[in-house]
Amino acid sequence: MPRIIFVHPDGRRQEVEAGLGKSVMETALDQGVEGIIAECNGSAACATCHAYFDESSLDLLPPISEHEEDMLDFAASQRLQGSRLSCQITVTDAMEGMCIQLPESQ
Amino acid sequence: MGNRMPVCTQLVQSGRYGKLMAIAVPTQDGISLDALYEDPFPIFRQMSEKSPVTWVPSTNLNLVTGFEEIMEIERNSSIYTSTNPTSLMNQVLGRSLMRKDGEPHALERKAIEPSFRPGVVKNHWSPIFAAIADQLITGFEKDGSTDLFQNFAAPMASLSLIEMLGFKDVAWQDIACWSQSLMDAMSNYGGSGDARQRGRDASAAIDAAIDAVVPIYQITPNPSIISSMLHAESAQSIEQIRSNVKVIIGGGLNEPRDSILTATYGLLSNPQQQAKAIESGALWGAVFEEAIRWVAPICMYPRRVDSDVVLGGVQLREGDQLGVCVAAANRDPSRFEQPDEFNIFRKKQSHLGFGAGPHFCAGTWVARQMVGAIAVPQLFARLKDLRLDEDKKAKFGGWVFRGPLNLPVQWTV
Ligand code: HEM
Ligand code: FES
Repeated sequence: MPRIIFVHPDGRRQEVEAGLGKSVMETALDQGVEGIIAECNGSAACATCHAYFDESSLDLLPPISEHEEDMLDFAASQRLQGSRLSCQITVTDAMEGMCIQLPESQ
Repeated sequence: MGNRMPVCTQLVQSGRYGKLMAIAVPTQDGISLDALYEDPFPIFRQMSEKSPVTWVPSTNLNLVTGFEEIMEIERNSSIYTSTNPTSLMNQVLGRSLMRKDGEPHALERKAIEPSFRPGVVKNHWSPIFAAIADQLITGFEKDGSTDLFQNFAAPMASLSLIEMLGFKDVAWQDIACWSQSLMDAMSNYGGSGDARQRGRDASAAIDAAIDAVVPIYQITPNPSIISSMLHAESAQSIEQIRSNVKVIIGGGLNEPRDSILTATYGLLSNPQQQAKAIESGALWGAVFEEAIRWVAPICMYPRRVDSDVVLGGVQLREGDQLGVCVAAANRDPSRFEQPDEFNIFRKKQSHLGFGAGPHFCAGTWVARQMVGAIAVPQLFARLKDLRLDEDKKAKFGGWVFRGPLNLPVQWTV
């Protein structure tokens, strides 16, 4: 199982084992990572699972749909280059060691 | 996505109700529908102190009242399904997206999404909602008193919905009446022939209103919901369009109406919060979220148990009908301090007023703008010294849907 690292706004790093086939959002909730709220539990409707993915690893991720595109503009924390809705990203082996920065607020 | 395996065994052993073995659903006798309608909150509290799930014979449902247990339900939609063979809603509306699961649900939901995206709401719908609010307030501004239910919240929600659906030549009173007739027919458990007939009439009138605009949007698409369905990637049949328009009319009108009234009532009965909200200008979002936490416009929605499962230490069986009481969860004392108080300054904490999971309210961003950013702030901006009418008291009612039944107010002209 790939290990991914959630980085909290205060710099604290939390390494977790991620289940293949689950979403990054589900992984965060399962492992008690605070900072991912996921009010809509993955329906891409709430933008409270916003996270910043490492810019160098963006091509490993599935493309952003038009709907996610719009939603990201309305997340509570500023949208940056690596912004994604973590519920739309499925964990794959290629994510081994990937760092995911959590936003200040959701 | 969002389907996680239930954590039944842990729940049985470490559930906060301290049971070592799953128990059968306890029964609570002696609760009348009238008492629930009057004020469900003390009843919910009393039940949830004993068990997160309670069989209430008068409702014919197992009522789920705990926050964690409702989250558990929403994260396992393959066990707790929305599909329901016995649903009265299906008989009245046809099978809408609210009573589907999995891929069939997802495709219909995607078909309406373009009309509901936050960017579309902000750029396209907001100016329309603002003009509606402005015109309604201008209509009674000089009177010094009014009932905000009939003269503001109901037409505000109805006129906005007419625009969003893309209807033409439909009066707000018509759509309000259709909505009520559909809701009465859907809750017609007694089988009244009159309610059934009014439901059929409303349904036929809605079909005609849809037919009148379909040819227009086929040629010239716009952001309306009917247009989005017509141009969806996964082609929508006329039956799908009809039943989803009806589910939106039956369920997308009273919630914004009721949340406008609840938010306004909450501020008017808490003058300090009212003053701070007006002074700051940045608290309207919190006012809206607190209003739907405090009195969730949809208090309860149904789910069906698809296979034997333990929830919060309680044994559920395949086929059990659940009433998911989000209004109760929104006042769960283990999550919200002094949950019965309306308090816009409470610690930011997600609530279940919009549900959760695959059916999480599609209209969330619409409601936040229409109610939280436009209707409520405009009232307080335009009506000086807005206050409750001392002589005519506001009254709340409902336990499936809940909100003020009237809101008589006065202001200084
Ligand atoms: C304060 C306002 C509102 C509240 C509190 C609210 C609440 C809810 C809730 C709790 C659900 C989930 C029901 C379930 O899971 O069975 C829901 C679903 C839905 N809502 Fe809202 N709603 C509001 C406004 C609106 C508006 C204005 C619209 C449309 C114009 C709308 C459209 C919908 C739709 C289409 C669904 C079904 C989604 C699905 O099945 O995937 N809502 N709403
Ligand atoms: S969990 Fe709601 S958008 Fe991702």
